[in-house]
Parts: sequence; structure tokens; C-alpha cells
Amino acid sequence: MRTARRSVLLLSAALFALAASPARPAEKLLVDLSDDEIAITTGFTGTELLLFGTKEQRGDVVVVLRGPDRDAVVRRRERVAGVWVNGASVIFRGVPAYYRVASSRPLEDIAPPEILSANGITAGTLDLAGTTDVPAARRVSFQDGLIRNKTRQGLYGYEPRGVAIRGERLFRTTATFPANVPTGPYRVSVYLFDRGRLAAQRESTLVVRKVGLGADIFAFAHRQGALYGVIAIVVAVFAGWLAGVVFRR
Amino acid sequence: MQIYLPIAEVSVNVALLLGLGGGVGFLSGLFGVGGGFLMTPLLIFIGIPPAVAVATEANQVVAASVSGALAHWRRRNVDVKMGLVLLAGGFVGSSLGVWLFTLLRGIGQIDFVISVSYVVFLGIIGVLMVVESVRAWQRQRNPAAPRKRLHQHYWVHGLPLKMRFRTSKLYISALLPFSIGLFVGVLAAIMGVGGGFVMVPAMIYLLGMPTSIVVGTSLFQIVFVTANVTLLQAINNQTVDIVLALFLLIGGVIGAQIGARVSGRLRGEQLRILLGLIVLAVCVRVAWGLVATPEDMFALGVPGGRE
Repeated sequence: MRTARRSVLLLSAALFALAASPARPAEKLLVDLSDDEIAITTGFTGTELLLFGTKEQRGDVVVVLRGPDRDAVVRRRERVAGVWVNGASVIFRGVPAYYRVASSRPLEDIAPPEILSANGITAGTLDLAGTTDVPAARRVSFQDGLIRNKTRQGLYGYEPRGVAIRGERLFRTTATFPANVPTGPYRVSVYLFDRGRLAAQRESTLVVRKVGLGADIFAFAHRQGALYGVIAIVVAVFAGWLAGVVFRR
Repeated sequence: MQIYLPIAEVSVNVALLLGLGGGVGFLSGLFGVGGGFLMTPLLIFIGIPPAVAVATEANQVVAASVSGALAHWRRRNVDVKMGLVLLAGGFVGSSLGVWLFTLLRGIGQIDFVISVSYVVFLGIIGVLMVVESVRAWQRQRNPAAPRKRLHQHYWVHGLPLKMRFRTSKLYISALLPFSIGLFVGVLAAIMGVGGGFVMVPAMIYLLGMPTSIVVGTSLFQIVFVTANVTLLQAINNQTVDIVLALFLLIGGVIGAQIGARVSGRLRGEQLRILLGLIVLAVCVRVAWGLVATPEDMFALGVPGGRE
């Protein structure tokens, strides 16, 4: 993997830089990403991102990647006359389109849940209570359905041992982004916990966007629907006419 | 090689798209059918969102029917007046269809309606094809068997707004072709098909048009109706994937030419039985998706239908 190899190079460069600057006071936590942008090009089939860093003291590392907030509607499948249809639905406002938690040990071993949730880490699953008016008893099954679907699409995930710690100071983790990764700004939060208490925190950002011809087509289709439709028709008519001419003999 | 489709927002294999286009194109060249009614469900099977599959297929049908329509036009096999009346109905029907499509998409029922429409129409057409072909085959082997008479729709002649259609040698109410056009227009919008499989029998059996001009007139109407569907889908739902349409087109054009060449060398009736069985197989597959217990009792959608 090209990305991975480049990441290793970056990693060694970063480590070299760290080692070479003894004059600066040591940071408790340093983090870098193999890339701060994911470009969805015409050949895009998903990608992996390497996050690495160093920590000055002992402790556990938790990495949270959170995509842009979007509204989501969850529909319950119901059986009507032997056929499955979409039945009752619940709308959740401002749900992260992508949410991945990776930690060096299972979260419950790292810190108590109230400390975790105070820092926006919700034990691998999201609590969506604030995003809908539906009473809790009804919400839970729809919320679980949402998380299950997102997990199956590779957009949500929790890896209890996803952060590898090398020696005392180095750590790294790999995040996967499927082909259907939502576009927009992503927040990368890295936490260092020492004996159940937050010792240090770093925030970083990442952008996922479409680039190239595909991005232009998408933007054009959404901004100039009528013109796009006309062009689609003209292309089709021309292709049909051309086929007729070429194969007439 | 994988390609990321800009509107469908999924990554698919280019060879698979060309193969699908080529395969369905081959069948349409072989049997002289549009192929939209096979392509749309196949696109859904490979993971293209149903709304995108339907709108994009309408765009591809424009291309597929243009060359046919032009060929028939040159041979003067088009009843333009009849075509225009069908088209008037087709415009109303397809506009209504896209409106309905947008509405159903907003309330999360469009996938269901697409599937049910396919099960119903593929089921009817498949059964009719197989039955009709088996009968014709038996007739060939046993020419003495009596031929069933066609229906005579006498009530039809009582309708108002009579019009003379010189090319078709008919004097009938314009409401009849208008209604056929309307119905096929709705189908075109919701199923992403040209609708020839409904229109051609309707023109022969309901209107009583001479078979020589039926296909040309139907293709003439399909070009404009599917163009209208493409435009309205692009405006209302942004679901026309031009890249997907292009790949299907390339495969489709080549496949159709090969199919047309092969069809001359094969026996007609056995071929029709085969097509009928393919149609029934697709029908069963779509129906299975409706009745099989889903792997998850909850499904995701996007509010406002922008999926």
C-alpha cells in the first residue's frame, strides 16, 4: 500500500524531528496523520489512514474520529400481507455521518464511563438522546438500528485494541474509510488517560472531499439540474444516432 | 478496474457495467425489446440505489431507442399523428410519474413501489411470453389446431374525440391512444423503462394498428417520453448518473448489434420462451427481495428523500 509506505516515512521523519529538537519542552502528547485530506477521485474504492504519535508519559490512548453531522432517518421494516415494507420512522437530527473509536485497551478498563462521556467518548456507541424528541423507550431500538446499519456500512466502529502502543512512547492506529465515506470536515480527537484520569488531549482535523471530474459532475447535477438533464439527453441522442450510423452497414 | 460513480456514490467494477450493458444489449438486439425492464432490476441487484437506477436507465433508453426510431423513420414505419397523440399522453403520464416518484421517495416508499411494479409487470409479461411462445410452437408443429380469435373492443368505438389516423388506417377516439401513452408514461417514470413491452401489445390489440408501423411509432414516442423522464428526474431528484449511463451505453450498443446479427440464425419461438424464462427469473429474484425476512429490521434513509 502506497499510503502505508508513505506514512511510515512520515512517521520516521516525525520521530527524527522529535528527537532532534531537545531544546523544546517535551509535549505530553503529539499526534500526526498520514494525510489531512481524503480525496474521492474517480478510482476511489475506500482508503486507510494512519494516525501516529508519541506520548511523554505512561497511559492509555483513545482516538475518536467524528465525521460531519447529518440528519438521519431510521425506518422500521414491517410485514404487510407477507411483504416487507418501510413502516414507522424516527428522524435523528445532527448525527455524525462517521464515528470511529479506537483505544489501546477496552474503554471500560481505561476510565469510568462518566469521565469518558464528559470527554465525548461514548463507549464505542453513540448516545443520540439529544437528537430526537421521541421518548427513550421507543428511541432505543431505532438508535440501535441506526448504529447497526452504520456499522455494517463501515461508517461506525469501535476497536477496543485498535491503538497499538510500541514501547512506552509510540502509538499508532489505522482508520478505514469505505467507498461510501461521507464528505465534509472530520474531527480527530486523541486522548491520553492515566490511571482513569485525562492527562492530555489533542485535536486535529481531516477533510473528505470529492475531487476531479466526478466532483464536477456531482456539483453540476445538483446546481444546474435542468441543464444537466438536457446534456444527459443530448449525449444519449448523439450516442444512439452514432451507433445507428456506425452499424448501418 | 473500479469506478466511483459520481451520482450513485458507489464504487463498481467497469467490466461488470460493460458486461451488463452488453448482455442486456445482446438480449434486446436478439429479441427486439428495449431491455430497460431487465437492466433496472439488475442495476439494483449490483448495489446501485434504486432511485438512481431508474432515472439513469431512462437516460440510457433514450440512446437505445434513438437509433431504432431513426431506422424506422427512414423506412416510413412511423405514424407521426398517432405518435404525437401517444406522446401527449406520455408527457402528462411521465410528468405525473416523476412527481409521484419524488413524493414516494420523500416518504421512503419508492424502493418498495419500484419492486412491486417490477414483480407485477415482469410476472405478467414473462408468463404471457412463455404461454404465447409455447402455443405458437405447438401450432407450428400441428398446423391444424384452431387459432384463437383476437379481442374485438366494440365499446371503444363509442368514445368521443374521434380522429383519423391515415398511416394506421384507423378512425378512433384520440382518448384511447392518449390514455395508453399516459399509462406507459407513468411506468416509464417509476420503472425506468421505455414501456414498449406494454405499448406494442396495446397498439396491436387495443388500437388495432397494423403491426408494420407499431414498433416504429412506439420507438418514436419512447425517445421523447424517456427524454422527458430524464429531464424531470435530473431537475427534481438529481438521480441521473451520466457516467453510469455512458458505460451501459457502450456495452449496450455493441451487445445489441451482435444480438441483432445472431437473431437471424436462431429459431424464433424457442428464443421467445428463453426470454420469457429470463424475465420470470428476474421477477422471482425481485419478489424474493420483498418477501424474504430482512437481515436488519431497521433501514436507513435520508430526510427529504435526498439519498
